[in-house]
Parts: sequence; structure tokens; C-alpha cells
Amino acid sequence: MDDLSLAKQLVAAIKSDFPDHKEGTRPIHTIGVGVDGYFEPSDVAKNYCTAEHFVASRVPVSVRFSNGSGSPVQHDGWSDVRGMASRFHLPSGAKTDLIAMTLGEFFVRSTDEFLDFTNSARQTRIRKASPWRKILDMMQFKAPQPDPYPGQTASSDAGTLDYANKHRFAQLGVFQAGTIGAPVSYVRAAYHAVHTFIITAPDGVRRPVRFSWKPVAGVRTTAPDSPPVDVYLQQELKERLDAWPARFLLMMTIGETGDALNDPTVPWPSHRVRVVMGTLTLTNVAADQAAASERIGFNPCRLVPGIEVSDDPILLARRHAYEFSQADRKADLCPFQRS
Amino acid sequence: MAASGLFDRLDQWVDRKLPKSSFFRFVAAHILVPFWASRTSIKPQPGGPRYSVQAGDNVQRMMNLIMPLKDKSPVGRAFAALAIAENKDEIYAGLDNVGTVHFARFVIVDDNICMFSVYDGDFTNYIRDFIATIGSVFDAVVELVEGGEDVLPSEENVEKFIDWVHAHDLYQVPDTATDVLRDQEAVNGDTTATNDLRKLPRDLILQLRANPNVSLGGGYRAYPGYSVAQVRQKFGIGW
Repeated sequence: MDDLSLAKQLVAAIKSDFPDHKEGTRPIHTIGVGVDGYFEPSDVAKNYCTAEHFVASRVPVSVRFSNGSGSPVQHDGWSDVRGMASRFHLPSGAKTDLIAMTLGEFFVRSTDEFLDFTNSARQTRIRKASPWRKILDMMQFKAPQPDPYPGQTASSDAGTLDYANKHRFAQLGVFQAGTIGAPVSYVRAAYHAVHTFIITAPDGVRRPVRFSWKPVAGVRTTAPDSPPVDVYLQQELKERLDAWPARFLLMMTIGETGDALNDPTVPWPSHRVRVVMGTLTLTNVAADQAAASERIGFNPCRLVPGIEVSDDPILLARRHAYEFSQADRKADLCPFQRS
Repeated sequence: MAASGLFDRLDQWVDRKLPKSSFFRFVAAHILVPFWASRTSIKPQPGGPRYSVQAGDNVQRMMNLIMPLKDKSPVGRAFAALAIAENKDEIYAGLDNVGTVHFARFVIVDDNICMFSVYDGDFTNYIRDFIATIGSVFDAVVELVEGGEDVLPSEENVEKFIDWVHAHDLYQVPDTATDVLRDQEAVNGDTTATNDLRKLPRDLILQLRANPNVSLGGGYRAYPGYSVAQVRQKFGIGW
């Protein structure tokens, strides 16, 4: 199958998981907000990577925070994966992206598995379990089935759980996604780029690495027992940034031989060498949200010299899937399509 | 309407009150845990870090020794404290000589004398070095511990002593939740209990029944991946 056909298939599979998906919008991470800021590399960053944003003193950055769902209806308070896509505007005029999410790993290892997974993740009708069912579960020490949120009639939980029970590689992602909760703020969550990238140092040494954004304000989620609030994250971010900038540390973990270099379902051990690569400072919610949140099109493979993709099949497939999706929804064209 | 209101109140009670109630906790501890333990074979997990050939996994490894004292009284605890205090010079000199230990400390928790340390390299070599350098201190402590007399003196029972220490080292629960299931498969060889993610709480409860004392995760490290030798060399403080 050629890249375009596969990309079309992947995007269609995602859309099928959200029956109320609105054409012209992103198939997932549909609801989002664009933010302006700048990135300053740490003193040591340039020793590990020759990419412009790790060598320059400061570069402007456009960030889009998002809820994971592909539904056009905003449910900030629902338990969901959140996204943080960052674009670095480099002095040379080039641009490079880093796409991260609050989940520390992905669900599948290949595009075939992705298509199977999205098929399993189709939404099915849900209803609240009876108290008797809950008591029975409690007596078996089984994790409780979450009650539907007010107004929620369908969910992908049953399908993804069934998939994870049949496929061990998906267990961690599905378990973490099921318990991830809702952040009190977009800037009070840690975001992980999940895939492995290969960076090149000034001395020519190439290293496999993974990136994470760690919030200086700390990680905090809403109380799971509280009634969910549908709309608060964008306003909270605006009020927060009006008062004070928000910051993230860019942490880079260096992989070793034997680590899962091309498998995003497997997190690396926490004992790997970890380097602070810089600080992102977010200053304000972008004035033009149509451009900064809707038309902007990110791509995890939009890289500059000094950083390369690994041979992770999911990462490689995302390049074409994002390109197709952006053309499909008439977003701003990415550099791959211009060249 | 009245029936619906009653149903909602029951539902809220089940969600919010029942799991935390002393009634449920009593039933869980005395009936449900023994019941599920009798139906599910969960063996104790071995202590210490898991085997790995990767460099990053073989530096800054944790040892969490929990050793129950024979004399479970303040006097028994005082004897344990005395055994450490009397040998402080010997312990520090020994640790300097071992050369692979980042941190080490003795702690008394209830009726246990505990040794917590962070070291580089292979566990058996670490203990072997310990026996060679401060075996007499270890003997003075182990003499006060239940079952300790079987492995003394350590210099004459090296392999037996290593096994004994390993048996008292805490199981290190994996950093990721579902790796608990992989550990259970490795020890029990039975995957039927680990094929339903919703049963993960039960798997964890039964593992904590088999291993009442555990280390939660691999622990945080500010500068992971570096050995004692690398740190000392970088700071120019040598040996």
C-alpha cells in the first residue's frame, strides 16, 4: 500500500471512532487553543544536539494545547489524553515541530495494529452499572466501571479494554488512558513525545532520545469524584497567562542499546540518562485563534538538521497521515507539501 | 420517583461510602483476600532489582534490607543501634573500599533493623565485597536478626549469606502498572489471572499479600545513569 492510501485509511479509521466528527476539523485533538511563547535552550543542550533551537539563544514558539477527543463538543472535565504541539520558529526561517501528549506511551506498534485498534475503539452505547454490579465488582477487587458523564451515551472504553486484554503491548497505554483524568490546567500536565528520535552532537555522536515537557507549575488533575466542568481549560489558560507566564522544562532521555527504540508502546526505564534541554516560556493566548489553533498544521516528522526520525513505524506513518489530514481539512500546508 | 431517589442514594453509597467503610475493609481483609488468594496462585516475588545487561540498569541500584530483630523490645532495638554505633568507623572505611556504593544507611523501623543502600553493579559482587570489607559488622547485626545464626560467620558462609541477604531484600514493584502482571507471569507461569486489566487491583492486592513489604518503583534519581566512579572522577575527588 502506498503512503497516501495508508494515510487516507488511517485518518478514516480515526474519524470512524467519533461519529459526531465535523468535516473540516482535526480528526482527533479537535478542540484546542493556540499559545505564543519562546524557547531558551539550556547551557548543555548544544553539546548533545546541533539543531538550531538547541544552539540559538532564544526562539519564538507556537503551541497548541488540545483535548484528545475527535468530537467537536468540548468536554474539558472528562478524563482524556491532552495534547501539546509545539512549533519552533528558527532564526534561519525553518520551522520544526515537537508533538507530545499526556500519555507516556502509545497503544500500538504498527499501522496494521493501529487499524485493528481503531476498529476496536468504535464507540458503543454505555449506561451506568447498577449498584449490585458495582458491589459484585468490589467483591472481586475489579476496577470499577466508570459512570457515564452527564449526557454521555457512548464510549470506546469497552472496545479498547477488550483489545488490551487480547494484546499485551496495548495494556499499559489503555490502562494509563483509562485512569488519566482531567488536568486543572493545560500547563499543569506533563507531555511526552513518545517516539524515539535520533539526535546528532557537534562531535558527530548520534544518540537515540525521547523528549518530555515537564511543567514548572507541577502536575495536577481535577478531583475524580467532582462533577466534570465542560468548559474551563482555555479560559483558565488565558487568565493564568494574563497574570504570569507559564513554563515547561524540556527533558530529554537518552536511550541505550536494548531499549525499545522503534516501539512507542514501551516506555524506557526511568534510570536512563536524562538531560535538561531547555525551558519553554508561554506568554499569552494567541490573538488569532483561527490561525494559531485551527489552520496551523503540525507534523512530528517536521525536523531540522541535528534531529532525525527513528525507524518507529508509527512515527513514520504519522508524517503522511498528518499531511493528508491537513489537506483534507484545508489547513495551512506544511513544508513537505510545498517542496 | 421515590424508587428512583432510593436507587440514586444506594448508588452514591456504593460509590463513595462503601469502599472506604470499616465494614467493607473488614470483609475485604478477612474474607475476600483469603478467598481470592485460595483461588489464585500468587507467589512471592524475589527481592532486589531485576536482571538486566543494560548499563543504565546496573548503576544506582537499590538494596532495601528488612531484617526482623529477635528481641522485639526497646532493649533489642538498642542492641541493634549499638551494633551500628560501635562499628561506624569500620562501616565507613568498608564502604569507601567497596567503591561502588552511592548511599547507605541503617534504619530501625518497628522491630526491624533495615539497611538501605544504592550501589553499582552486580548484587552478589556487592554483598561479596561487603563481606570482605565489613563482614564482622554484618555479623554483629545479623546475629541479632531472626534466622541470622544460620549464615554466621559470613566469611565462612559466603554464598549462603548472599542468598540470605537476597531473601531479605524487598521486591521492587515495577514503575509501570502493567509490568506487575509481567512479574507475576514470570514467577507463577500462569497467565490466566493477568488477561483482564480490570483485575489489576486484585493482582496487586494478592501480590502485596505475598510480599507485604515492597519498594514502590525504581525510585527517583537526579542524575540517573552514572556510577560512583564517574561521579567522583567528574568532581575530581578521586579515591
